[in-house]
Amino acid sequence: MDETILTLLVLAMLMPLAGTVLLLCAGRMIGDRAGWVATSLLGFSFLCCVTIWGMWPDRGHRVLALYNWLPITADGAGFLEVGLFLDSLGVAMMAMVSGIAALVHLYSIGYMRGDPRYTRFFAYLSLFTFSMMGIVISPSLIQLLVFWELVGLTSYLLIGFWYEKRAPQLACRKAFIMNRVGDAGFLIGLGILFAQLGGHLLLPATEGMLMADGNHIKSMIGALAATEAAGQVASSHAGLNDWLGLGSTGWLSLAGLGLFCGAVGKSAQFPLHTWLPDAMEGPTPVSSIVHSATMVAAGVFLTARIYPILTPEARLVIASIGLITLVMAALMALVMTDIKRVLAYSTLSQLGYMVVALGVGAWGYALFHLITHAFFKCCLFQCAGSVIHAAHHEQDMRRYGGLGRKMPWTAAAFGICVLAISGAAIPLTTLGLSGFYSKDGIIAGAFNFGFGISGQWAPGWLFWFLPLLVAYLTPLYMARAFALTFMGRPRVESVHQHAHEAPPSMLIPQLALAVMAIISGWMLWKPMIEASQPVMQVMGIQSFAWLHEPGNPGMKAAHAWLLQGAGWIIPLAFGLWWYRDGLGRASRVAESWAVRPIHRALLNKLYFDVVYDRLISGMVVAQSRILDWIDRRIVDGLVNRTAHLGSDLATATGRFDRDVIDRSLDGAAESVLQAGGVLRTTQAGRVRIYVLGIFVAILLVLIVVLASFLPIWRASAPSAAATGRPVIWTFESDFVSGHRHASGSLGDSIPFSAKEESINP
Amino acid sequence: MSLLLNFMIFLPAIGGLLCLAAPGGRQARSLAFWVTVVTLAMSLMLVAAFDYSAAGPQFETAVPWISAINVEYRTGVDGLSLSLVVLTTGLALLGLLASWNIEKSPKVYFSLYLFLLTGMLGVFLALDLFLFYVFFEISLVPMYFLIGIWGGPRREYAAIKFFLFTLAGSICLLIVMLGLYLVTPQAVGKNTWVMVASSTSSDRGSEAVPATLVDERVRRMFAGPRFDLERWNEAAGDESGRELIDALRLDDRSESTEAVKAVLAEQLRLRGEAGLGQWLAEFTQAVLIEGRKPLALPVEVGEANLDDRYWSVLLVDQARGGRYWVFAQWAFWLSLIAFLIKLPSVPFHTWLPDAHVEAPTPISMILAGVLLKMGGYAMMRITWPYFPDAAIVFWHLVAGLGVLAILYGAFCAMAQTDWKKLVAYSSVSHMGYVTLGIAVMTASGWNGAYFQMIGHGVSSAMMFFLVGVIYERSHHRDLDRLGGLWTRFPAFGGWSMVGFFAAMGLPGLCGFIGEILVLLGTFDAASPGAIGAGSVGLVYVYGALAACGVILTAGYILWMFQRVYMGRPREEYHDYAPISRREYLIMGVLGVAAIVLGIVPMLVFVMTRATFAGMLASMGVG
Repeated sequence: MDETILTLLVLAMLMPLAGTVLLLCAGRMIGDRAGWVATSLLGFSFLCCVTIWGMWPDRGHRVLALYNWLPITADGAGFLEVGLFLDSLGVAMMAMVSGIAALVHLYSIGYMRGDPRYTRFFAYLSLFTFSMMGIVISPSLIQLLVFWELVGLTSYLLIGFWYEKRAPQLACRKAFIMNRVGDAGFLIGLGILFAQLGGHLLLPATEGMLMADGNHIKSMIGALAATEAAGQVASSHAGLNDWLGLGSTGWLSLAGLGLFCGAVGKSAQFPLHTWLPDAMEGPTPVSSIVHSATMVAAGVFLTARIYPILTPEARLVIASIGLITLVMAALMALVMTDIKRVLAYSTLSQLGYMVVALGVGAWGYALFHLITHAFFKCCLFQCAGSVIHAAHHEQDMRRYGGLGRKMPWTAAAFGICVLAISGAAIPLTTLGLSGFYSKDGIIAGAFNFGFGISGQWAPGWLFWFLPLLVAYLTPLYMARAFALTFMGRPRVESVHQHAHEAPPSMLIPQLALAVMAIISGWMLWKPMIEASQPVMQVMGIQSFAWLHEPGNPGMKAAHAWLLQGAGWIIPLAFGLWWYRDGLGRASRVAESWAVRPIHRALLNKLYFDVVYDRLISGMVVAQSRILDWIDRRIVDGLVNRTAHLGSDLATATGRFDRDVIDRSLDGAAESVLQAGGVLRTTQAGRVRIYVLGIFVAILLVLIVVLASFLPIWRASAPSAAATGRPVIWTFESDFVSGHRHASGSLGDSIPFSAKEESINP
Repeated sequence: MSLLLNFMIFLPAIGGLLCLAAPGGRQARSLAFWVTVVTLAMSLMLVAAFDYSAAGPQFETAVPWISAINVEYRTGVDGLSLSLVVLTTGLALLGLLASWNIEKSPKVYFSLYLFLLTGMLGVFLALDLFLFYVFFEISLVPMYFLIGIWGGPRREYAAIKFFLFTLAGSICLLIVMLGLYLVTPQAVGKNTWVMVASSTSSDRGSEAVPATLVDERVRRMFAGPRFDLERWNEAAGDESGRELIDALRLDDRSESTEAVKAVLAEQLRLRGEAGLGQWLAEFTQAVLIEGRKPLALPVEVGEANLDDRYWSVLLVDQARGGRYWVFAQWAFWLSLIAFLIKLPSVPFHTWLPDAHVEAPTPISMILAGVLLKMGGYAMMRITWPYFPDAAIVFWHLVAGLGVLAILYGAFCAMAQTDWKKLVAYSSVSHMGYVTLGIAVMTASGWNGAYFQMIGHGVSSAMMFFLVGVIYERSHHRDLDRLGGLWTRFPAFGGWSMVGFFAAMGLPGLCGFIGEILVLLGTFDAASPGAIGAGSVGLVYVYGALAACGVILTAGYILWMFQRVYMGRPREEYHDYAPISRREYLIMGVLGVAAIVLGIVPMLVFVMTRATFAGMLASMGVG
């Protein structure tokens, strides 16, 4: 069984990689068929993943292969490992990633047609898929980091795919650097864990895996449990804890938050969120997979993977970060007019939900939402791509309107996903679209957490109130996008005139994803939550039984609002009505004195970009200029000045030589001068003096330094000479004997060798 | 095999002489080509014949050379030098291909190029300090002329600066060598230049540990600042420490032995057997520096590990004023400066940007790819094994220098508008990881520092070549006057990405391995027993700063990449000659090497494993 799974997994991983290599090496030969080649490879990969899911035996977890990669101990026996690892979470993620990737590849065939770098696009996209799969199957943090950076690279390449234009250039650089800022935190967290756990960087979920040598592999969790149990945390980690002054788990909080920094960068959480909206400069298929469905969810995935090492303090920080992102992004989504940016902020907001879910302990629902969100958000972006494609690359929703009649299928798919992301369900039942199942669980978790801590901590109520509030905002801003794009009268004739329904290669993936957006929640809810149980068990996560049964009394508060319909119908209906014929009504409100400053701030993305670009990045560049100046003027200036000093000294010596010695030794000097003349012709004359000066200076240094050592040699030498025999009882002689007897049998030249008589009682 | 090894060192020199006698430039070129090919083949034969489980040097040759001062011609290869030798011969061939179109006196050029190769190989393969020094200097001279004659407009300034800078370092090294020469009689009975690594040095036994200058345990006596006797006495509550020291101070050996025995017997009577063990352990601990790994100490007095002379000799040195310790500190710093200049490290780095900017492309490749590595190699080969205790005492200063270099080099790189200068400063930054990794003295740190040298050898050579390819066509390197090259040269752009992103430390490429291991190794220095255990905060600050270095690296590389490769192609690109096959070959080989090393780093570690284990153990870490 394991062998089959391993083979399938390797095949599933190799397909996209093969696609990349093939397209990069033989792209010219493949030409226009590149899209179909890559898509079919991905389709095959998807089949493999689905087969694995079908075969997945006991919903357990198994390490399928483990290899030594980087040596970390002096004896060369300790290694950081890489390998292939699957658990039920990984199986679901693999199927989701490969399935969506296959659909996006298919979609891109239509969308990217005619692009001069058509082949390269598919090469990058396949490489991205490979890297994303690499993250999913990582058994260790180090491998996760490797693929983590690789998805970052492909994201960079894909955002900057149209690099001739200025905006994508800046956007891709920004994305990479923002991610690197997060990664610096990741590295620090990794370093702390590495030092404190003695180099065990395997993920907590891999514990108890099927390895021949069970002792060799220790998971972090195991190591931690052992030290905690023995009460040794304080002692073995005392150094860092004392320095931090954070109590006995301070180091662990720091390590967890360090790793979470990486997630903040990748999942574009506050305060590193600014790159994601800009990343929309990339082709829309890229936005649909990289910047909404998969890569940005990698941060959530990482946080879920390291969940057991997150201390309560760390989780509170994580929940707060998620909360800020959640609200901020939802508000921004409400004012943006670029269709892709609205979706980007919506992505941020939904990622915020997932992060909050992890922070409040709704572990399984965070991942469930990750999967459902991948379907409907990918579909939304594809629909947006179809609209942009149809509207001749017009992305401003103010210039859309009435496109629903021209492209009904796209509008339908978009509409379904609007319902899905809103968490729509049939009132008074537990039947709903995918977003309902996952978001409902998250909000229930937030209620549980928020009510739990609001007693102890005053702002605690925010943890349940804000997720609920945003659950109302989500239908509103999505309805706004839908209404502005598809409803009402056409606002700009030129855009509307030539608009057309998307070609089949784009429409089919859209509709497939829309179907998934409808059924995935209902279909996957049980398997996902059930599947997460053993994983949670291994990782030592408490599972809340009430979280898994909608309608349970524990969820009453949440369901009162969401299940019974008011939660989504009212804001959605209001949104559709309010924006039915453009932004007219809304802009009147926005111009009112009370709303105007807020509206302006939101339109300017709360001035984060200003602060980052002008202030921080400006400061870094200024700093680099200053250091460069210091380097040229001061550091190098000192070097040159020293050299000049040497040459001046040499000139003086030369003058002395010429005026004093030269005159007395005429003949010899003559020849020296001649030789000098020869040298002078080859080098501008200065060189000789330069070299001479340096040489004199060096000689002086040599003499001074050696002279300072002289006492040492003098002190040891005469003692040997004076006694006239080899000095035995000095440390020098011990060197001799020590060396000779290094193998262990010490001669009687050692003072304490006669130990038996004198010391043994 | 040892014959082959020596032949490999001198074959290029012989080829260099023949080049001068060649009838014309083309003949000299093909001669040089075949010589480098054969050298590369011989280095690969060494790899094939190498015993990967042995720690010490292999294929050793030891022939008396200057008997009057005990200089030997001693060569050999071990895990520390093997991969650097392959790097050298490989880059030499690629550099030669890159110099295919040299027009200015090609005979002299190729002859000097081959002499340079001999010098570089000699540095990595010499096992006698004197011989090492000779090769260290020999490699300097051809480089001086290669920059000074075939370089850019300010070549003379750059060449002299390079020469004098390195010469100043060499003088520091010379002082250390003389000191070591004078001190070795006290260690091994005669003046010698034999390097600590040599497996057959002097009258060594059959132990597996490398022969250090002095016996491994005895050597620990140099371990630290002056012993505070008063404080120890105070803590112990009596004058026993002073008594013991006084006893040790007696000149007559038997008297001294008796006196020490008396003191110990007194202590045994007072404290009992266990108490005496404890007392000795405390005494020994007290003279150790903070953060030193606890040693296996003579606790069982019944078995009387008193013949563990470690502490006794330590006491003797302390009693005599720690004279060797003074020398060790001086020698550590002097030799460190010599090699930090070569590496180069801030603040001794300013020769590097000038030399690189002026040097012709192939020479830049060799300079960055191999010559800089001599600094790191020599630190690992000479400075640390000879003076590990000074290295432990001053680790925070040296590591601080490394961190400074990482950040400072990255900042300076960011400010450059000259493409080649940017790459040169990136070398300063990357070599900072080498300094840091060596200084923290952890296994990961050393592995990382070493791999960083190999990885940087590949990536920097590639970067300089990429710059050279464009410079040959554009005749300028101004970043603001480039842009859109990716569209003009798509495949070149792809390879460029490999080269520059390898330098950026992207996983899957060679730059990542060194960086991540050095980072992890730095944090590891805070774990109990490692050298930073006493100053955890400092370790974490260093680690965090080095981790932040990756942001700056991404900053300057991506900004450069954007300015050079992205955007619309310029008009004048149409006149640029297409990239030739020879150029693709060089890029391809380096690019594939960068990828392969990044994915299978064990290719290097398998060579270093046994040697590093021995070295780290002999330094008391690991």
